[in-house]
Amino acid sequence: MGMRAALGAFALAAAAVMPVMAQAQTVTIVREVDSDRYDPHRSTARGASEVLFMMADTLVSLDFDMKTIKPGLAESWTASPDGLTYVFNLRKDVKFCDGKAMKADDVVYSMKRWINPETKSPVRWRAGKVADITAKDDYTVEYKLKEPFSELLYQLTQTFAVVIDKDNVEKLGADFGVKGFNGTGPFCWVDWQPRNEMRLKRHDAYTWGPPISENRGPASVQEIVWKIVPEENTRLAAVMTGQSQVTQYIPYSGFRTLRNNPATKVIESREAFWTYFIGFKIDKAEVNDETLRRAIVMAVDQAAIAKNLYFGEVEPAYSYISQQALDWNKGLDPELIKTNLAEANKLLDQAGFAKGADGFRQRNGKKIEPVLYTFTGSTWQKLAEAVQGDLRKIGVDVKVQLFDATVAWGKLATQEFDMFGMSYPYISAGDALNLYFRSANTPTPNRMNWKDATTDQLLDKGMAALKDEERAAAYGEVLAQVHKAAVWIPLYHEPMKIGYSSKLAPFKAHNIYGCGLYKGLDIKFLK
Amino acid sequence: MSSMTSPDAMSSSGTSGRRLTWLPRDPTVLLAGGMLVAIIALAVSAPWIAPYDPYQTGHIPFLPPSFMDGGSPDFLLGTDQQGRDLLSRLLYGTRNTLLTGFLAVLFGGGTGVTLGIIAAYFQRLDPPIMRCVDVLLSFPAILLGLSLAAVVGPGTLPVIIALSIAAIPDVARITRSTALVVMGQEYMEAGRAIGLSDSTLIVRYLGLNCIGSVFVFLTLRFGQVILIGAALSFLGLGVRPPEAELGMMASQGRDALFFAAHIATLPSLVIFVMVLCANLLGDALRDALDPRMRNL
Repeated sequence: MGMRAALGAFALAAAAVMPVMAQAQTVTIVREVDSDRYDPHRSTARGASEVLFMMADTLVSLDFDMKTIKPGLAESWTASPDGLTYVFNLRKDVKFCDGKAMKADDVVYSMKRWINPETKSPVRWRAGKVADITAKDDYTVEYKLKEPFSELLYQLTQTFAVVIDKDNVEKLGADFGVKGFNGTGPFCWVDWQPRNEMRLKRHDAYTWGPPISENRGPASVQEIVWKIVPEENTRLAAVMTGQSQVTQYIPYSGFRTLRNNPATKVIESREAFWTYFIGFKIDKAEVNDETLRRAIVMAVDQAAIAKNLYFGEVEPAYSYISQQALDWNKGLDPELIKTNLAEANKLLDQAGFAKGADGFRQRNGKKIEPVLYTFTGSTWQKLAEAVQGDLRKIGVDVKVQLFDATVAWGKLATQEFDMFGMSYPYISAGDALNLYFRSANTPTPNRMNWKDATTDQLLDKGMAALKDEERAAAYGEVLAQVHKAAVWIPLYHEPMKIGYSSKLAPFKAHNIYGCGLYKGLDIKFLK
Repeated sequence: MSSMTSPDAMSSSGTSGRRLTWLPRDPTVLLAGGMLVAIIALAVSAPWIAPYDPYQTGHIPFLPPSFMDGGSPDFLLGTDQQGRDLLSRLLYGTRNTLLTGFLAVLFGGGTGVTLGIIAAYFQRLDPPIMRCVDVLLSFPAILLGLSLAAVVGPGTLPVIIALSIAAIPDVARITRSTALVVMGQEYMEAGRAIGLSDSTLIVRYLGLNCIGSVFVFLTLRFGQVILIGAALSFLGLGVRPPEAELGMMASQGRDALFFAAHIATLPSLVIFVMVLCANLLGDALRDALDPRMRNL
């Protein structure tokens, strides 16, 4: 308590002697890691997208609900009934940071660079199977597909699909996104010192912000500085002392401090799609029994994990994707496996998994001791311990093996383990399911070895669906299939929480690609 | 025989034995030794005296020690964030920490002493052995632990290996320099002259005469090894879940430092006391075995 009071007092004192910062209208944002570069087609890290959303725009934008597509650089668009041709009508008032007007050719160039094999973009597939992209006139773009791609518009809201300037790319060559970047976003590139800070200044001519922003441009603050501070408690202290005005990288233990401190506040959003889970390799002898898996899932106390290990700052998960996500099957809500220790023990008793003298259950005379592989670091260590502790209560002795991230991915591509711990971001059910449950995706990322012809057919059907309902129905059926088979232990959904200085006006947190500040248009100092 | 030795060298185990006799009268030694023995006894008897299963989760989490406000008499030192009894985990954790330190000192010290004595006795082997030792000296223990854990996964074994390797160079150098002094003594020459075998000379004359100062060093080293071992566990490289280890417990308690400080501070306190006791005991042993200090 004393410590918190002292920190609070220090923050207030610091606030009193630092009015200069407010006058300069500079907002400093602290975060954990930098990106290797800011080339939208080559950098897929959240760290790159955070800055790219501010420096560049997309044809269409995504509402805070993560479901509704809204206009962006395109005022309107049409899709042909066969789902193969999209026509985008561009705004006529858009300019790049260097003052040049943005036209259809720029859009075509950007999209074609994204899908060009020479660009080697790891996210090329997200553009769909493109037949051709052409400029019909200066302000009309035609996007033709070989096969329908029901998620195209969602993918076009991401930073891979931002509009870039051909002259700028060609002039900078390999230094594009390293020494400069000419975009149409609300902020313009000033200076980047890798692993230290990225400095952006306001794009004064900007008036074409997405309709979800209260302020559609120009931005309220004159300058934004993204600063790298690797240590989490230092970031917390930076926000408390006014060195930083806003950050989404706060340790879970720090939110309570930020809420109780008059100089700081916390914004929360539940439409965040980042889920932590433990998966089963369903064809391994240790865990190939569906009843056993159901009992294991039932024994894990997600609510206790969220409350005790994450101070109630995360949402306990019982579903494999957030129940707020696009195409979540609401019919599954009552069927999700909830924590019930007594029932789990009963299930195992009935299925004949008798307890041995050591208190652990056995199958065919052999103790049930599945091997769990996951990552070192405090997050997975404590999660693994919690799950291990819960499973001891039903007589299952999980053997935990933690690996450093440098070797973990290699280990997780093998068939050595029975269970694995993982977390992942997604934008919709389709995004998540196509990644994890396609037969072709074994051994990784389909580490469960889930090979099911029906699933594959349904996933294809969802991909090619022309109507929202058709797509939702196909994916909903896959969700039902995998939840019924108990192939994962969902642990928690990570919400979006942003700590910020009370000197800033409240704003809404976005969840697009985990970039809470999105375009930064609504960040402003209170008078 | 003792009349032939220089006063700096340990002349025989008998003499150092006599010097050690005043040790128990030193209150620092009594306190440090007593504490260390008590801690070791508690750690060894953990399975019989721990009030709860140290891995059993689900008690009320974040309970403070029973003597504090809100504490429960059922949990003497409170519970951690997973609702496990902290006293039981401390007992088991101390056991793991001590075992890691003890094994590392045993393996590292044993290897170091052997290398040092061989290097001093067989002059031709001196350069290659000592250069290898120099190479080992350039591995920081923590970096070595990190690399080992990256390859084989974290666990007690990589930590013991890393700590052992880290202990070898210092021990080898100390042993070699002590052994070189002993090698210069007339009784070594006399032993050779009457035809004693290499093994007899090494074990009975060289080895026994070096062991005093090396033991002092190892006692001091024990404290350091525990500290580095705890640091490695703090970084998440030590024991595997759900095993308890003091460094790991301190690390896990960090999140709750502001409202349940006991989860991180109690294991840290045990590390502190163990290292302090080992260092005090080592210092007192050194003083006892150093004739110049003895005469003061």
